[in-house]
Amino acid sequence: MTALLDIEHVSKRFGGLRAVNDVSFSVKEGEVLFIVGPNGAGKTTLFNLITGFLPPDQGVIRFAGKSLAGSAPHIAARLGIGRTFQIVKPLRNLTVLENVMLGAFLRTRSTTEAAAQARKVLAFLQMEAVSDLPAHGLPLATLKRLEIARSLATRPKLILLDEVVAGLPTAEAMALAELLLRLPEWGVSAVAGVEHVMQVVMRVAQRVVVLDRGTLIAEGIPADVVRRPEVIEAYLGAKYKQVTG
Amino acid sequence: MTRKRALIAAACFVLCLLVPLVVDQDYQLNVLFRITLFAGLGLAWNLVGGYAGQLSLGHAAFFGIGAYGLVLFNEKLGLPIWLAFVLGVVAAVGAALLIGRVAFRLRGPYFALSTIAFAEVLRISAKNLTSITGGDVGVQAPALFDTHPSQWFYVSAVLLTALAFTVTALIVRSRFGYWLQAIREDEDTAMACGIDAASTKLRVLAISAALTAIGGGLYASQFFFIVPDQVVGLEISNEIAIIAMLGGAGTLTGPLVGAVLLETATELFKSWFQEAHLLIYGVLIVLVVLFLPEGIVGTVARVWRRRKAGS
Amino acid sequence: MEVKLWQAVQAILNGILTGALYSLIGMGMALIFGVMRIVNFAHGAFMMLGMYATWMLFERLHVNPYFGFLAAAAMLFVLGYATYQGLLRRIADRSDFMQILLTLGISLILTNGVQLIFGADYHQINFGLLDINVRLNSHVSLNLPWLLAFGITLVLGVGMFLVVMKSRLGRALRAIAQNRYAASLMGIDVMRIQALSFGMGLAAVGVAGGLLLPVFYLYPGAGDQFTLKAFVIVVLGGMGSIGGAAIAGVVLGIIENLTSLYWGNEWALVVDFIVFLLVLSLRPSGLFGSQRV
Repeated sequence: MTALLDIEHVSKRFGGLRAVNDVSFSVKEGEVLFIVGPNGAGKTTLFNLITGFLPPDQGVIRFAGKSLAGSAPHIAARLGIGRTFQIVKPLRNLTVLENVMLGAFLRTRSTTEAAAQARKVLAFLQMEAVSDLPAHGLPLATLKRLEIARSLATRPKLILLDEVVAGLPTAEAMALAELLLRLPEWGVSAVAGVEHVMQVVMRVAQRVVVLDRGTLIAEGIPADVVRRPEVIEAYLGAKYKQVTG
Repeated sequence: MTRKRALIAAACFVLCLLVPLVVDQDYQLNVLFRITLFAGLGLAWNLVGGYAGQLSLGHAAFFGIGAYGLVLFNEKLGLPIWLAFVLGVVAAVGAALLIGRVAFRLRGPYFALSTIAFAEVLRISAKNLTSITGGDVGVQAPALFDTHPSQWFYVSAVLLTALAFTVTALIVRSRFGYWLQAIREDEDTAMACGIDAASTKLRVLAISAALTAIGGGLYASQFFFIVPDQVVGLEISNEIAIIAMLGGAGTLTGPLVGAVLLETATELFKSWFQEAHLLIYGVLIVLVVLFLPEGIVGTVARVWRRRKAGS
Repeated sequence: MEVKLWQAVQAILNGILTGALYSLIGMGMALIFGVMRIVNFAHGAFMMLGMYATWMLFERLHVNPYFGFLAAAAMLFVLGYATYQGLLRRIADRSDFMQILLTLGISLILTNGVQLIFGADYHQINFGLLDINVRLNSHVSLNLPWLLAFGITLVLGVGMFLVVMKSRLGRALRAIAQNRYAASLMGIDVMRIQALSFGMGLAAVGVAGGLLLPVFYLYPGAGDQFTLKAFVIVVLGGMGSIGGAAIAGVVLGIIENLTSLYWGNEWALVVDFIVFLLVLSLRPSGLFGSQRV
């Protein structure tokens, strides 16, 4: 399998803070990769770098072989990189359907076609019931699904999910995880999630990359990585031991 | 908008066009001209301020360019009057692209402030370029219509408003309209969906500027004698924005309602209590911001939607 | 040749004197906009109120404006506090859009209300002191009223700076500016502090108005140009920086006076706006600011 996304020696500083420090890894087509690390590890910054919201200070980011070279966010989206935001950003004065249509409009000019596509995506995410409700005032779990739906409607090749189950109760989180496993049905060939809810990671991830304060400290299949002492010590702690023990 | 609503709108506009058959006093036609013109201007602003959510307080720049375009191209350069009119509109679009390129990179209040800055630069420059504008003394604007001017100006205003209305209605149902609203709600999200926010904002500003400039040209010719403070002033910018806000920014009929209300109120107060009409403006704005932030049409629509959902 | 140099010197000195008043107006706006993030389009209108108040004290009670300005400041402090508590706090969470419109509305009400009560006529005050000029040499002289204004502004400006930087109120205010939520969690009464700050910002403007009265014309629209200039000063000085606004005010005064000297009075305001647009485009954080636009 060829690499869909290549991160090569990428760094980003904010003043004195090294948010991302010489990070390198790849995401292959068809795989599900998760980036793990505590808050402040640089995960969201990395996503902002990949999707063009921030330019890297050093390093190269390649998508399908082509360098992104600090392209604007809308270019990254058009190339096929979809993204959800950690703090949900629904378009509050539009309905759920209209929110998702916005994503569909990347692939079609027609309003009816976009609506049809949007309904398909909403059906997949089991959200038909709320299609015509305004986006504000909905529960968090629904809004998280809306983030995914909107991004999915843009038919991305790669979808970057930023803390997509954070703040959700376990049952909701696991239900969402099951849906994530079915993303390949939509022609989404790779999923790079950023997660610190370990149940979801163990269930969904094929490979895991661990960040600590901006630096990549471990990489491999979840079962291996979680056993490594440096990783356990720094990140997983008591909560994980409770889950697997 | 459904076919039925489109037909109703078309019928209303046709009725408006027929008004001069009934009303023939110049004074009344001029009042109707003003009301209709500002309805069109409000609709034009609404595209940028209401749908795209970019609060421009410098639209007088485009209005003034349309006005002085007539003077410059026809009066001073001798071009045929309708060509001068078109050139004025083209100039306004050019200005919009220039202004937008700088202003749209700014967020929040800085955008609004920069639009004011641009309009003020234009106004003071107009005051100083006395050879073209006559400075504070003023200049005569050429006549667009030789016979029955009051009637024709009114009809032109109706046509402008119909044009602005149609353009808005078409945009709202289209992909472009969704892009605008996405940019209003959350520009980052819009970009993550592949929307080129910068280019979209420029495009809508260009459309808005063109419509506003048409209004400026009509106004100048109708008023006959114009000074910079009048056609490029903050008052015009504020009036347009307030009309759209009062009626309901981001709604299709809002600016129409706003214009009718505000301009009618102004006319009434001018005859009763001339000095106070700006004071009324101020009170109106404060009341709308505090109690009716979605404007009249917006609030009515929201209440109606809630009733429907409840039943 | 030498005369031209002295003309420039005179312009620069005048600019410093004018700039001091600008600094005061700018510091008031820096407090309100830079620190509290309230877009106050009524800034100039409030200053105009201060001018009218000082004028009334002079006309009716023969109070010298160089004492009367204190009353104007006190009045505007109270008015500012009341305006915040009564009107502005209701839209504290709403968009900048709404704040602009609200303060615009307030500005219209104040300006036209004053016009209804006092008429649109221009007024000017006069007493002996105003005609005195201090001669520095044969080419340069300084107008005494401006010098007095400069001195008073300097004292008050330093005072304001100290209050914001050193006092408990100032610390609370800066905490709110950095993170309103966190500040409220630490027991700071956010609404009350913001109301006090708004009052303070307007008091500064009231002082400026009172000091401006002897050397300017009084009419309902007198304050309008200062609103926009205040924004220019805050942007030039840097967001959130009171000291920056103080320096920017003087810089703007000098730029304006030099522009008047070489290109004529009419272009001064245009140059202000060009400076504004240049700063926003090229160096959005201003001369001393730390926040990004």
